[in-house]
Amino acid sequence: MSATGLAVAAAHDSSAASPVAPALEARGLVREYGSVVAVAGIDLALQRGEFLTVFGPNGAGKSSLLGMLAGSLRPTRGEVLVNGATLDFGAVDLRRHIGVLSHQGFLYAQLTVEENLRFYGRLYGLGDLDRRIPERLSHVRLAERASSLVGQLSHGMRQRLALARALLHDPDVVLLDEPYTGLDPSAAAILRGVLTELRDGHRSVVMVTHNLREGLALASRVAVQVRGRFAWQGIGDEVETNDFERLYHRVVEGGS
Amino acid sequence: MIEYLGQVRAIVWKDLLLEARTRERVVAMGAFAVLTGVLFNYSIDRTVVRPQDIGAGLIWMTIVFGGLLGVGRTFHLEAQDAALQGVLMSPAPKDAVFLAKVISNFVLLYIVSLMIVAVFMLFFGLELGSSAATLGLVLALGVLGFVALATLFAAVSAGTRMGETLLPILIFPLLIPMIIYGAGATSRLLAGRPATEVADNIRMLAAFALAAVAAGAVLFRFVVED
Repeated sequence: MSATGLAVAAAHDSSAASPVAPALEARGLVREYGSVVAVAGIDLALQRGEFLTVFGPNGAGKSSLLGMLAGSLRPTRGEVLVNGATLDFGAVDLRRHIGVLSHQGFLYAQLTVEENLRFYGRLYGLGDLDRRIPERLSHVRLAERASSLVGQLSHGMRQRLALARALLHDPDVVLLDEPYTGLDPSAAAILRGVLTELRDGHRSVVMVTHNLREGLALASRVAVQVRGRFAWQGIGDEVETNDFERLYHRVVEGGS
Repeated sequence: MIEYLGQVRAIVWKDLLLEARTRERVVAMGAFAVLTGVLFNYSIDRTVVRPQDIGAGLIWMTIVFGGLLGVGRTFHLEAQDAALQGVLMSPAPKDAVFLAKVISNFVLLYIVSLMIVAVFMLFFGLELGSSAATLGLVLALGVLGFVALATLFAAVSAGTRMGETLLPILIFPLLIPMIIYGAGATSRLLAGRPATEVADNIRMLAAFALAAVAAGAVLFRFVVED
């Protein structure tokens, strides 16, 4: 408890000292699994309203990068800062600023849609759940399924619910790991709409995806991760999908 | 502190609701308790052994084995859809997650342990007389220490390939104090001795439970960190 308290106090001090700190910053992030280097030194700084899409082949270390940015994976070296404060396992208060949508929903199949959101809302200490939950469910077009068990939902519905869960606490930083996986066109359109609102609503977003079209459509910044490093980075508006596809293959085949 | 308690309550509520919906663990533990009582009943020659001489030991061993069936599966439902990861990424401190798991496991196993005592009283003809409340306290303290250790080691073994085999190997040596003082107190209470005679056992069980809960709360974060 006291360690947590210290971490929170440090976070507040640090935030106060750097009012214009990036919403999300990574400094020299390295993650090793034994002799395997998944992330080999990544630096990034994301301001409010920036949307970074990270592309890369399987095994490039994208999910490990996202895990470290979310604070669920301890970096072997380097650090992650949220609003200027160091994120570590003890800094639980900083987690209020982060929302994570993975290809796994973090949902309980035997609880209803509403019960899942209420549970997470209580973990985040949210007090206005009776207003917030129906609002979020309407947002992802699941309001009519509030009392359905999650186990009875389709994959697309579960993914939309997972999105509502990730955004329930209004995080400043949103991390998305392959959010389009397995979605039908209609569910993908809903997800695209919500992500567009996030981008326009001054949230900082990092999305890891293989879907070049969806990834580029929303990105203000683009990176290609190969063998644990950002092998290429660019500005989203300056990248054409067809050109980028050729560039992507060239970068991936060329390694770093 | 209010938020901390709210987070603990949220996890307890979720765990008990999941158990009420699935009845996965209580049914397994309850069925095990009844069947064990039946088997022990037929395994003892009452012309040679008096049931009250061995009843206490059998009750505690049944609690331990039955408890492992249920508490060992604490993190199985959490593993579906990586739900535990969602909890661990929330602002809930790791010790709050651990304490909540201990509370929900305690509620389930305490109910089952009362059922185990009832089953053995039925089959073995044991009598408690005026010691029922004291035995309730002995069971509560023993079960609390057990679930604290079992919850911690269930988290350790959940991430391993041979988790269900590993759990008893890890936990059994640590349960020796609980068995000594728990079975000792139960034996005396079943023999009709006064409650004052088991006061030392109760103190030792309380110390064991306190140490197990405190150690688990401190160590849990290292177990679940990736």
